Amino acid sequence: MFEWLQYDFMVRAVIATMVLSFSVAPVGAFLVLKRLSLAGEAVAHAIVPGIVIAFVVSGLSVVSMVVGGLAAGIVVAALASLVARMTIIREDASLASLYLIALALGIFILSAAGSAVPLQSFLFGSILGIDDETLMLIGVTATITLVSFSLILRPLIMSTIDPVFYESQSKHPGLVTQVFMFLVVLNLLGAFKALGTLMAVGLMILPATAARYWVSSITRYLMLTFLFALASCWAGLFISFYLPDVPSGPAIVIVAGVIFFLSMIFSPQGFHVGARLNLFRNGSKPVKHSRSNERDEPHEKTV
Amino acid sequence: MSVPLVSAAGLQLGYGDVPVVDKVSFALKRGEVLSVVGHNGSGKSTLVKTLLDILQPMSGTLDWQDGKPDTIAFLGQRTEFDNRFPIRVRDLAAMGAWPRLGFLGRIDAECEYQIEVALERTGTADIADMPLHKLSVGQLQRALFARTMVQDAPLILLDEPFTAVDQSTEAELLSLIDEWSTEGRSIILVLHDLSAVLEHCNSALILGKGNSLFGPPESVLTPENLVRFGYLSSSQADWLEAMHSKAGGRHV
Repeated sequence: MFEWLQYDFMVRAVIATMVLSFSVAPVGAFLVLKRLSLAGEAVAHAIVPGIVIAFVVSGLSVVSMVVGGLAAGIVVAALASLVARMTIIREDASLASLYLIALALGIFILSAAGSAVPLQSFLFGSILGIDDETLMLIGVTATITLVSFSLILRPLIMSTIDPVFYESQSKHPGLVTQVFMFLVVLNLLGAFKALGTLMAVGLMILPATAARYWVSSITRYLMLTFLFALASCWAGLFISFYLPDVPSGPAIVIVAGVIFFLSMIFSPQGFHVGARLNLFRNGSKPVKHSRSNERDEPHEKTV
Repeated sequence: MSVPLVSAAGLQLGYGDVPVVDKVSFALKRGEVLSVVGHNGSGKSTLVKTLLDILQPMSGTLDWQDGKPDTIAFLGQRTEFDNRFPIRVRDLAAMGAWPRLGFLGRIDAECEYQIEVALERTGTADIADMPLHKLSVGQLQRALFARTMVQDAPLILLDEPFTAVDQSTEAELLSLIDEWSTEGRSIILVLHDLSAVLEHCNSALILGKGNSLFGPPESVLTPENLVRFGYLSSSQADWLEAMHSKAGGRHV
């Protein structure tokens, strides 16, 4: 059962994904809360050419990958909002157009340059890819993310719930969203080796959407999102270890997807199948039940 | 009489270089309630945003006699409000204290007490642990009034606070506004509908057709003025006049 932990690269992967889960959980949670899930997906693809160009120019250097990825992410995001503001195309369409171009461009350059890295591990991740440098990157990413979040949590909550109120009470109302989008790109880069460019955003969004079914307070939401992310990572790694041809990214995202579906089916705020079945079994009339318990988490401290 | 908290003379307001309303003059003393009335696009929101420093006046200045207060409480319209956010009524009220607590400041005993009082006064104490998505419109508005109370500000701006709120809730929230004014807080009430609310105001400012008029409610909000500033059509005004003479000539 635990023989997989005898391998050094698996121990690395287990640690790396744990730290990564700490980092991506709050980012994913707020992507979902801010209704930016699809924008997150677009940004994930948009950073591909940056990573590829950095890779072609200076090999497997983590620093150049981060610089390239951040640059590409910022350029595409800025260009998308410029196009939306100055032309007739709306924001979602301009973002979709640009990220498709960026993704194609990235794969094109990677193939044309005759890369030594197999395309599959680039797109879908590889548990073997987690070297010392990647561990460092994940550690730094998690540190920056958690420190930033402790600082921007209140402004972020306020600007998400009530942007008009936030604008009235803040001196630099735009800043918090910019910091947040920077953290999104940073975490996508941190998740790149384990999950690949196509799957990285899955570890952000799916645990966050699954957790949303179970809680009604922000603190518990962030904690449960982390637990779901961690469970997905470890179970996914396990599967990817025993099925050698399965890259780690899709394995992790499929586990996260299973958690999402179970949450959707069984949670009180989802379809609540358990309660409905009980009603039939007792033979009583299906009473209209509250979609979740009335007083959630009454003993929690005020945020 | 005391000096005004804020006054303006000949203010021109607008977005960028597009003027919306000109020659806005008013004065608001401590403990007074000022109502702002006008048709859509007359500059009500522009005035609110200018007071909040989100917009700058195109010409003229706002005169804060004792300096601009650190906090201006604000309750806007709920059009962009996200009530599915996983947070409880209690936390929404606590949000009123966040700007002065900064990024990391803890909610201390005094602040906790303020929040409890606000929940009690707005009638939201027994729903304090409910998530926002289960609230009715009236309950949500009460919770937002609790947040406004927790802001503990000398000036309170309320932008159409009674939209889609039932009569009894409106009456209770109005008595809160009266209470704030006896505490010496100044209140600016932006109103879309003329209603009994106006009886709670010390003065009124009507905006419309790029112009404005300020004074006591009974002399500003006459049917002739409401027509002149584009708030009512002349047939609506005639109807109102007829109603009045039947009712014995009370002001609008």
